[in-house]
Amino acid sequence: MIQFLIRRLFLILPVLVGILLVTFTITRLVPGDPCYVMLGERATESTCNDFKARFGLDKSIPEQFGRYVLNLLKGDFGNSLKDRRPITTVIAERLPMTFELTFFAMIFSSTFGILLGVISALNRNSIIDTLTMLGANMGVSMPVFWLGLLLAYVFALVLKDTPFQLPPSGRLSSGISMAPLTKVWGIQDATGVKAFGLSFLSNSAILNGLLTSNYKLFFDALKHLILPAVAVGTISLSVIARMTRSALLDVLGQDFIRTARAKGLRYSVVIRRHALRNALIPIVTIIGLQTGGLLSGAVLTETIFSLPGVGSKMVEAILGRDYPVVQGFSVVIALIFVFTNLIVDASYAYLDPRVRVK
Amino acid sequence: MKNKLFVLLSLLMLASLALAACGGAATEAPAPEEPAAPAPVEPAAPAPTEVPPMPEFVAEKLEAPGGNCDYGGTIKSIEAVDRYTVKFTFCAPEPAFVAKVAVEAFDIYDADYLKETGGDAVAMNENPVGTGPYIVQEWVRGDHITFVPNPDYYGKAPANSTFILKWNKEGAARLLDLQAGNVSGIAEVTVDDIPTIEADPNLKLEPRKVNNFVYLGINNTKPPFDNEKVRQAFAMLINKQAIVDDFYAPGSVPATQFVPAGVKPGFTDGYVDTTYDMAKGVEMLKAEGFDFEKEYTLSYAERTRPYFPQPTKIAQAVQAQLAEAGIKIKLEMEEWATYLPATRAGEKELFFLGWSEDYPDATNWYDVFLTGSSAAFGNPFPDIVDLIKKGATSGDPVARQGYYDEVNKLYAQHVPAIVIAHGTVNLAFQAGVEGVVIGPYDENFALMKTADGTVVFSQDGEPVSLFCGDETDGNSFRACGLIFSSLYNFSTTSIPEPDLAEECVGNADASEWTCTLRQGVVFSNGATFDANDVVASFSAGLDYNYPLRKGNTGSYQYFKDFFGPKVMNQPAE
Amino acid sequence: MSLQEKEVPILSSETIRETASPFVIMSRRFFRHSSARLGLFLLGILVVCAVFAEQIAPYDPIVPLKNVKRRDTACIRIFGCPAEESQHLMGIDGNSRDLFSRIIFGARLSLQIGVSTISFAIVVGGLLGAIAGFVGGWVDDLIMRILDVLLAFPSLLLAIAIVAVLGPGLINALLAIAIVQIPVYARVVRASVVSVKELDFISASRALGASEIRILFSRIMPNALTPLIVQGTLGIATAILSAAALSFLGLGAEFPTPEWGLMLGEERNSVFNAPHLVFYPGIAIMITVLSFNLVGDGLRDALDPRLSNVN
Repeated sequence: MIQFLIRRLFLILPVLVGILLVTFTITRLVPGDPCYVMLGERATESTCNDFKARFGLDKSIPEQFGRYVLNLLKGDFGNSLKDRRPITTVIAERLPMTFELTFFAMIFSSTFGILLGVISALNRNSIIDTLTMLGANMGVSMPVFWLGLLLAYVFALVLKDTPFQLPPSGRLSSGISMAPLTKVWGIQDATGVKAFGLSFLSNSAILNGLLTSNYKLFFDALKHLILPAVAVGTISLSVIARMTRSALLDVLGQDFIRTARAKGLRYSVVIRRHALRNALIPIVTIIGLQTGGLLSGAVLTETIFSLPGVGSKMVEAILGRDYPVVQGFSVVIALIFVFTNLIVDASYAYLDPRVRVK
Repeated sequence: MKNKLFVLLSLLMLASLALAACGGAATEAPAPEEPAAPAPVEPAAPAPTEVPPMPEFVAEKLEAPGGNCDYGGTIKSIEAVDRYTVKFTFCAPEPAFVAKVAVEAFDIYDADYLKETGGDAVAMNENPVGTGPYIVQEWVRGDHITFVPNPDYYGKAPANSTFILKWNKEGAARLLDLQAGNVSGIAEVTVDDIPTIEADPNLKLEPRKVNNFVYLGINNTKPPFDNEKVRQAFAMLINKQAIVDDFYAPGSVPATQFVPAGVKPGFTDGYVDTTYDMAKGVEMLKAEGFDFEKEYTLSYAERTRPYFPQPTKIAQAVQAQLAEAGIKIKLEMEEWATYLPATRAGEKELFFLGWSEDYPDATNWYDVFLTGSSAAFGNPFPDIVDLIKKGATSGDPVARQGYYDEVNKLYAQHVPAIVIAHGTVNLAFQAGVEGVVIGPYDENFALMKTADGTVVFSQDGEPVSLFCGDETDGNSFRACGLIFSSLYNFSTTSIPEPDLAEECVGNADASEWTCTLRQGVVFSNGATFDANDVVASFSAGLDYNYPLRKGNTGSYQYFKDFFGPKVMNQPAE
Repeated sequence: MSLQEKEVPILSSETIRETASPFVIMSRRFFRHSSARLGLFLLGILVVCAVFAEQIAPYDPIVPLKNVKRRDTACIRIFGCPAEESQHLMGIDGNSRDLFSRIIFGARLSLQIGVSTISFAIVVGGLLGAIAGFVGGWVDDLIMRILDVLLAFPSLLLAIAIVAVLGPGLINALLAIAIVQIPVYARVVRASVVSVKELDFISASRALGASEIRILFSRIMPNALTPLIVQGTLGIATAILSAAALSFLGLGAEFPTPEWGLMLGEERNSVFNAPHLVFYPGIAIMITVLSFNLVGDGLRDALDPRLSNVN
């Protein structure tokens, strides 16, 4: 197992170098000039030249890359061109939002996905099965941005003044705010990783609400997460439902189920204790593999619901030519993505020894 | 198998936890469950009763190198004459001085505070120190800024106890927030939402009248647009009225000449614009041998502005109008980041751009566009440039109007651009918000009253920083206006009113301005406002060698625009 | 249940047909699924719309209509719309164009988008995968590691980044989507190649003096065809969705092209006051993507029963 992990980690290395190269190259090839974005109508050539000299953008590309990698190794992602704040700070601000969104989307999609899949499998070839699977197929076919807009329309406007009204945008209602944990806990001297962690926790409205017993904040943040999480999670839900159905059907056709039934066990017990548990392995794997899809969905959903997460910042930074932010965020997203896949692979290998030798 | 599954599940959970902690792992242990003490508001000011002894005043002075304007700007010196008097000396008449310094970019900062922060916007964002009606309680990045009244404010105390500035890029989402009662007011109402607001008794529309325009720029170095007749024909083919009717808010008007009616001297009364005449335009094009088979590119950026409320729809409408005349137009939507430099470099044959004035004077119009400061329109027209120069340096309004009348006539002949519309932009508020007055450049947030004392306003973007000396965008300016003040300000009119200055008086030819400052003003860090603060704030913007010139991007664009084109000690390119 | 196990009565005419034509077998398997039938039906409608767009659409999709109300809602005769008003099945958009006509023409564009991007991805990805699998060694490692890098980014983000480099526009967006899809097809082909290249019939061909190129293309590649067809059909669905997403963000098709994602993005701020302008393009995207997904699933079951459990 350890050997497998080491081998996989070793294989990741070239991918990591590739990620750095790709993000750096892409962001340098982008046409357009960050200066004009910052200065708007008033930008002139001379002010832009100053601007470039100041941020080292006038140096040669290899030199810029060398500096970039060196700094990265030191844990320095550089500063945003837009407001010159350290990228690490921006990441600590933005990542929690995206994690919350992805997390709740995943909870939503796996709960309902498994449920629907089981119902479908148990009623195989019935009208329920057909409808559920058609629904699942429609779920994967829906554009996330369209679903988001429709949800906002229904829950914010059609259901206005009913108990089901939900906020169509933003992260918190006005008047509700998150107290920085450094202040609440009286920690003044946090630096480096500790400061990053504190800032990260502070900026997660959900965790912040829980840690400071600020339940108003917690529930408000939760309420704002419902629509976006549903929008992001729908595709995964459909995938998980289909996977659950086929995995369960697969298991149900195997001998040990027949044996269990023959033993005289009740059907529901067989399903719960024997079939579902075995079917869960591929299901858990597919849930893990949904991370990428969820992150992609988050880009569009954060834009539609005006959520201050990684996705919306990324789009903003691309359109605004904020190179360091694009680079930093790409690296972080890719890392998350690569390591999630590694974890999924590892757990799969753990469960199924055949994979390890392959 | 069961066991393995269990282990797997816990493994996954652990993994997701580890991911969530990503760096935060080191800190997860000590989490004392203290009762959530609400973050205390930290009034930076010391006890107000204590009057600090006045230190001796050492007057500061900013002087141009060599004592002249060879560096390429217009300011010769700025001098603290005594504790409460500042003298601005220019190399040429500067009639618009008070209007210029009323722009938010010329906010006054405490000199010691600039020193403490090194003039760095990042440091200043953490704890902005100003003399305005509010101080910042918190800035939750990506979400909102909370302002509370400044107890030391010298003016009228705010009528609300909390002011929250939020932002949302989507107009529809801002309106929903307003309808749901989450916010008291919103900026930049989408044109199609206006009927909804008018029909809702709980909401009210507040139009903003500001001089602006949008134009279809034509580059006169790109054939066939180097032909004046072709440009004139194009001007006949665009139905401005139809565009304004379809896509602009009520109160917007089609543009006739190069400046809007509010710019006086400048606007020619009774001016007759080129009339929309499809047949005649096509005939003219045919006579000039215009190639109807070729595809021409019309570029624009998807950036909603008061003068350009629905960029894509307006662009498509113009495209369709020209198509009716048989002209093939390809629309090219570009990101602002690439669009503006390319346009300014003269790469676009046809393009949309616009302008909202900074201060009410013709120089903020003609001089910006028609003197060839950018290559967007191609080559400038010498006859127009000559008249504009005469207009800018003349102190006599009647004579100026004479020059500008000529410019307006020449505009119709040369057609450097086809001006299309002057837009009215609307804000919307809850009907219950009292005391709302919308000026051309500013809103009177401090005087707005709500039942619960909290005013929440939603605009279309997050402020870039809270150091507006080095910012140019309206979203930052709106936030800065609450915390800082300048020598003059535009409260809710286009007439600059004295603010930190009691009065600024110009000499006979308006080349020297002496400002008497308001006494007893205290910054929110407790420092007393005096003439040296003015000198320091302007030095940061005007002198490259000034040690506290850091800002955000470091360009201090407004200082260059208004008192440049270059500032002191600016390195050669 | 596999075919070989089936007990077949000797000399039944049905049996002869079954064993004689794999195509018939495949069709049977395909049409056994009601969802596949539905998918094919929807796809048929779309193809008809795309081919006969000029005949079906009552108005020009681009030229604004005169004397109509902008953003007007649907006017349908059979639902009691007065005869003196012109009929607009889906209403009128913000630039006074008939929405129904634009949706119909959008079908043509979407099918073109899907097919062209995936063809490109299959050709390039297939070639890379074939080379990697066939040559093996460091070439294999190099190609697959490079493709791994592409897979290390969420696909939409990577496509956005590529469009940002190439500049917005439909062709560039399609290229970006195709590039993002390349690794998928490279992997599919590589897997097929690796699985058969050591088999006896390849050695036999080689012994008979066939050139390596010939072996690769006429002996090995046909084995990759089945998974490619299945993956390609599903890929078209993904490509249409991604193209719509890019257009929605303003990075894809140019105005006034009747591209569904573009239409949706253009009217996104109208969702609360003219929801039909947002609703119809979205439904159109969904139906198209759905039809390809259903057909793809059906094909997978029909062509390769072993794959039916793999998502």
